[in-house]
Amino acid sequence: MWDWYEFPSIGRTDLRDLKKAGDEAFKAFSRAYGESLENFFQPLLSFLVWFEKLLINSPWPVVMAVIALLVWAGSRSWQLVLATLASLALIGYLGMWENTMYTLALVSVATLVCIVIGIPFGILMSKSDRMQAIVTPVLDFMQTVPAFVYLIPIILLLGLGKIPGLIAVCVYAIPPIVRLTNLGIRLVDKDVLEAADAFGASPRQKLWTVQMPLALPNIFAGVNQTIMMALAMVVVAALIGVRGLGMEVLKAVNNQYITLGFMNGLAIMAIAIVFDRTSQKFGKRLQKHSEIIHG
Amino acid sequence: MKNLIAGATFAALALGATGAMAEETCGDITMAEFNWASGELMANIDKFILEEGFGCNVELIVGGTAPIFASMNEKGTPDIAGEQWVNGVRTLVDEALAEGRLVAVNRGPIEGLGEGWWVPAYTLEQNPELKTVLDVIERPDLFPSSEDPSVGAFVGCPAGWGCQQVNISLFDAFDMEEKGWVLVDPGSAAGLDGSIAKANERGENWFGYYWSPTALIGKYNMVQVPFGVPYAGDEVWNTCITQEGCENPPKTSWIRSEVFTIVTDKFAAEGGPINDYLAARVFPGPVMGAMLVYMSDEQAEGSDAAIEFLTRYEDVWTNWVSPEVAAKVKAAL
Repeated sequence: MWDWYEFPSIGRTDLRDLKKAGDEAFKAFSRAYGESLENFFQPLLSFLVWFEKLLINSPWPVVMAVIALLVWAGSRSWQLVLATLASLALIGYLGMWENTMYTLALVSVATLVCIVIGIPFGILMSKSDRMQAIVTPVLDFMQTVPAFVYLIPIILLLGLGKIPGLIAVCVYAIPPIVRLTNLGIRLVDKDVLEAADAFGASPRQKLWTVQMPLALPNIFAGVNQTIMMALAMVVVAALIGVRGLGMEVLKAVNNQYITLGFMNGLAIMAIAIVFDRTSQKFGKRLQKHSEIIHG
Repeated sequence: MKNLIAGATFAALALGATGAMAEETCGDITMAEFNWASGELMANIDKFILEEGFGCNVELIVGGTAPIFASMNEKGTPDIAGEQWVNGVRTLVDEALAEGRLVAVNRGPIEGLGEGWWVPAYTLEQNPELKTVLDVIERPDLFPSSEDPSVGAFVGCPAGWGCQQVNISLFDAFDMEEKGWVLVDPGSAAGLDGSIAKANERGENWFGYYWSPTALIGKYNMVQVPFGVPYAGDEVWNTCITQEGCENPPKTSWIRSEVFTIVTDKFAAEGGPINDYLAARVFPGPVMGAMLVYMSDEQAEGSDAAIEFLTRYEDVWTNWVSPEVAAKVKAAL
């Protein structure tokens, strides 16, 4: 008899066998390729470790000066530079300097990796509708699937620490830069492209001298979003052993240390705001620049 | 000789008591079913044996260490708590035992349990000279850290757990930093488990904190490495090892985790042969480990796992009961 209330499921034993088969397949894959994957990421790991050591072992006034300089170069805003210095000073005073440097190193390198991988993908997507049809659902998947689901396989493949953390961060943070690069290039005015064609520009010239410059404000919005999402993943990355502010937040969560939680949470927020304002202002300056040319 | 006499006396007592009880029914019993795998398994095995072998009617009450203990201590229910972890509620347990409100009928229902530092069995096979923690910490080269292969990785306890500070103190006490080790924080239980699983899948060496009885220890055949130094005492443990910022902590082994089977005073007086069963019921560590692996692999519930245990390990549990009771349980399987 057909049962309308109990959904016809494959049954406990089959389900268990299915799950076991999936796990075994993944473990076999990890045994076969895990080590080569680890070696593949070795240069990135060395770079990350080097950058982290650079931030931590340099005298703090130098680090602060360099950060202030970068903020100034990006934003040209004295207020923002002062606010940055003030929050860094407070972070240091409250004993979070080292953890902040760990987090800063991870987020910077993660952003860099996302940009280096994301922009080419965005360009490819803008060139081909088929590519867009393939990549868009993948990006949707990356943005919506709960991070915990891919944290466990990542540990099995690559172990604890920075590289798995970096990958987890990038899986979540890369979609905006890909999407907005694609969008930015697609939004470039048809008339402008026609003009470029009329002047006999090669596709390469068209991309680099017309489409990319005009898409820059959008691409920068993407970079900004990527940074924000990378920072949002800091605590999740701590779950697989990434040192930094996120680890302290975990410690606070596990022990009901309210103040510790807020201190580290606010430090993450301070970094986020500095990154956000700087990249936004930089993006706006780029836009202003292009508006003047058109105007 | 001493053991022989003790064993014989015990056997005689157990036989005599069960013989007298055999014809009676034992009535209603409430028993704690702790909400973790080994607790669930033990409660269901007890339930099966008490119901089928002793003719009791057992009701299981699900809960964690603290609530179950509080309920037994204050209200006198449940009657039996099979796997009561003592360290977390130590002062309360000592008080209740001293006042006689509760009775510890078995001070070690599972062998080889507790927290400590573990390595995979194959690491010891390949390096038989590693006998204690003191030997292992001389060989950071065997456990290279992925981020800096020149130092050894010691995987500690996830951020914010009570054991995190203990591992930090012991890392310091054993001078591990000078010996070329780095303390890795796995961040979460999933991170810790994952790192053990990864090392075992690849045949890599792994050195770090874990506890037993757990499915993971059984599944990957992890071995606890003795610290090679005696326990420095509760005083040192409570005022230094577990405290943040303790200067120059002394070398010590991990505090012994104690698990008791506890019954209420009323049950201790009236339970008769059931108390003898509970006292005799000791799970060898590897058997408990294998059962936990079975439970996690098959995603088995406690009641299914209990039947699996009773079928698979007849030689273990038949020693806990009289032949008559064993026959009844076997007949019910």
